[in-house]
Amino acid sequence: MRDDVLARVRAALAGRERFPHPGASPSTARVTPEPGDVVDRFAASFQAAGGEVVRLPDVQRARQWVATFAAELTGVAQSPLLPPALRVEVPDAPPEQAELGVSLALHAVAETGSLLLSSAEGRLLQLLPPTHLVWVPVDRVRDTLAEALGTEAPADVSALALHSGPSKSADIGRIVVTGVHGPARVIAAVVG
Amino acid sequence: MRVSLFVTCLGDHFFADAVHDAIHVLEGLGVQVDVPAGQTCCGQPAYNAGYMTEAVRVARHTVRVLSDAGPVVTPSGSCAAMIRTVFPRLLASDSAAGAATDLAARTWELSEYIVRHLGRERVGQGLRGRRIAYHHGCHALRELGLLHEPLTLLEGAGATVVDWPADRECCGFGGTFSVKLPPVSAGMADRKLDTLPDADLLTSADPGCLLQLDGRARHRRMGLTVRHLASVLREGMDGSA
Amino acid sequence: MDPRSAHYPRLARETLEQTPGVRDAVTQAALAFDAHRLRAYGEVDVDAWRRWAEQVKSHVLTHLDTYLEQAEARLVEHGAHVHWADDAAAARRVLDELVSRYGVSRVVKGKSMVSEELGLNDHLASQDVEAVESDLGEYIIQLLDEPPSHILGPAIHRTLDDIRRIFHEVHGTAPEATPEELCAAARSTLREVFLSADMGITGGNFVVAETGTLALIENEGNIRISTSAPRVHVAFVGIEKLLPRWSDLAVFLQLTARAATGQPVGTFVSLLHGPARDDEPDGPDEVHVVFVDNGRSRVLADPDAWEALRCLRCGACLNVCPVYRQTGGHAYGYVYSGPIGAVLAPGLLGLSETLPLPFASSLCGACAEACPVRIPIPELLLAWRRRAVDEGLTPRAERAAFRAFSAVATRPGLYRAAGRLVAATGGRMARYLPVLGSWESVRAPLDPSGGTVRRGPRHGGAAQPSDSDQTGAPGSEVEPAP
Repeated sequence: MRDDVLARVRAALAGRERFPHPGASPSTARVTPEPGDVVDRFAASFQAAGGEVVRLPDVQRARQWVATFAAELTGVAQSPLLPPALRVEVPDAPPEQAELGVSLALHAVAETGSLLLSSAEGRLLQLLPPTHLVWVPVDRVRDTLAEALGTEAPADVSALALHSGPSKSADIGRIVVTGVHGPARVIAAVVG
Repeated sequence: MRVSLFVTCLGDHFFADAVHDAIHVLEGLGVQVDVPAGQTCCGQPAYNAGYMTEAVRVARHTVRVLSDAGPVVTPSGSCAAMIRTVFPRLLASDSAAGAATDLAARTWELSEYIVRHLGRERVGQGLRGRRIAYHHGCHALRELGLLHEPLTLLEGAGATVVDWPADRECCGFGGTFSVKLPPVSAGMADRKLDTLPDADLLTSADPGCLLQLDGRARHRRMGLTVRHLASVLREGMDGSA
Repeated sequence: MDPRSAHYPRLARETLEQTPGVRDAVTQAALAFDAHRLRAYGEVDVDAWRRWAEQVKSHVLTHLDTYLEQAEARLVEHGAHVHWADDAAAARRVLDELVSRYGVSRVVKGKSMVSEELGLNDHLASQDVEAVESDLGEYIIQLLDEPPSHILGPAIHRTLDDIRRIFHEVHGTAPEATPEELCAAARSTLREVFLSADMGITGGNFVVAETGTLALIENEGNIRISTSAPRVHVAFVGIEKLLPRWSDLAVFLQLTARAATGQPVGTFVSLLHGPARDDEPDGPDEVHVVFVDNGRSRVLADPDAWEALRCLRCGACLNVCPVYRQTGGHAYGYVYSGPIGAVLAPGLLGLSETLPLPFASSLCGACAEACPVRIPIPELLLAWRRRAVDEGLTPRAERAAFRAFSAVATRPGLYRAAGRLVAATGGRMARYLPVLGSWESVRAPLDPSGGTVRRGPRHGGAAQPSDSDQTGAPGSEVEPAP
């Protein structure tokens, strides 16, 4: 079967013009540049996609903020890769029962309003809890998606994911509903 | 200044008045108009339906009868697009290839000729106070890139071109499409007509679109005035006589 | 689904006559999608993106054998299994084997056009495997037992009230339930499915050959969960879905989203590299990628059709198409509808089986303007029409009519005589010509203006209509025999 498919493809291309790869991708810059620095632009685009952004000047303030934020919660699913200082002081729960999932972003992307997440921390904690909190160290905010994805795919993880705001659908009468399957609230907490 | 007018088949059979209005407008702008003998149709109906042999034959005929004609002006965006963008490809391996390319380079839609070639934006002031809806024929819009030319002339003559959300959508004519799939074609015309804002008249540079929109509007007894751009421009030149 | 494309004219008429609400629902949804696309295109140098993307896809298609082999090697390095399917039946056999190998009784599906093309849901049902669509729109049409009517919004032909009714029956939601309440009902049902399914099935937006990356774009998160929670993930991917390089992804992800919904990027993008690693907390144990031909290599071999394989399945050509907006996708009788369906269906299924589709277009050109990979859809439609004529598939009366047309239009004398005839018969023409009966079925009768316009040089003054051509040089009037 494999060889049959490939043989048909080769036969199809026999004697045909072969087009070259055009090389580097074109600029993704906006025609009208967005205002602000890269973190401002990330915040604006992430919020435009329905996400929430919290700016926290240092780890100390981050700890204070999250303690208040999570004060009422009884179970969270946290990334095992979080630095100890950013762990939430709430008992662990499996992702399907947790009220909150907590991740550490590989990168945030200003041009698309995205968080780049890795399966190394677990996938379901990014998806099943109704609220998803993603820590973003400020030096991980990138201008472009191309910068965030880098020149090579990381080979040691099974899934990278871009999350750009909460789960949404307009499949019912064209009315946008959030929290269809994934989280209804996504909070990017930018630290530093 | 001298041009040859390509009347087109729909111009001959359904829009003779508009053709004469086009001649009148051109002459009023100081252009001498010749109507070359032997001209018929550009062949687009056959081309769009897939009948290449027939389309080539008719295209070759049109190239021949317009071969010594100087600038060619036609009151049809669709036929101008056929001659300009399709003829050179259609006749590429034909003995008429050179003549087809030559014709393509000197063929103009009416409003395009007046605005781009003559550099005129005013034919008169006869449309003052008129509210006009303009339908952009698809081929004029997308193949000839005409968007501002007809509007410039209408507004230059004092008319207000009304804001029509569907002004650049297809009317549903599409040549044989209109008779192969009547309910779909009519539905497309309805989308145009149902979104039409209050206006004194509807106009376009394309006879096919006008046949479609007028035919559907009359079928629905809408009491809509539908006129060819050339006729509206004549009124713009002369005032409503 | 069984293709019913041959019945397009009847299906279109029935849709318009029997379910007029479909036209309104589809038009409103498509216009909204299209307005978002236009705004999103305007924010970037979209023409440069489109030209570049066109070239990348043309490059990958004309080197497809090399890239397929490269993609296969990289996928296997990641621990994924790669299968190849000549056609839909072969793809279903691959699935059967996997279902039996893993003892699968419940499958959760992410939205996938290729799985519709392959008829996977019906097939799984026939094997007593429960397959549940997890995209909200797909879930709705699965409840209604309908095929998708749009690449992106499978249920756009259904109004809020339609959905309230079926959810009331199935989920017992209130007759006046809000979209949020309907969504919550679907969510809780599907959450249980995600966590109990043995297998997740998806399609794929891209496979990056250089890195063996399977890329999936969505807004709901159901694809992410379908590819993460069940222990087996199977992706059916058309062989044309490859991208050469990892560095190509950033623009393709953004271009697809801008063309499809006007978003900067899909809400969720999965970039998958095989099964979960040993040190990862979750993710599938087994990943299978099935490369599906099912007619694609035949389209690739066709110099007049292959460009359709650049398609990203964004739906932009559907949204902008005034023909599609009249009926939605069902009338096209095939999973791929609208302009792209009208050029893909004849290639994938055969021209004689899908003959009306290349004619289901007014050739307005809006699709080509919207297409993110610059597929010249009107040119491809014309190529299929030419082929239909060349293969003698068009009606005999039509062939005769165009022969007559070319005879008349190359003989000015005959042309003028025909003009006189038109003028003389006036509004009674429809009695003699069936084609005009068709015209007048939905429009007021034609009103011929009387013969032909007089030929010759003019010397000022108003010209008069004339049915003769006194001033024409007789020598130029006669067409030599070709």
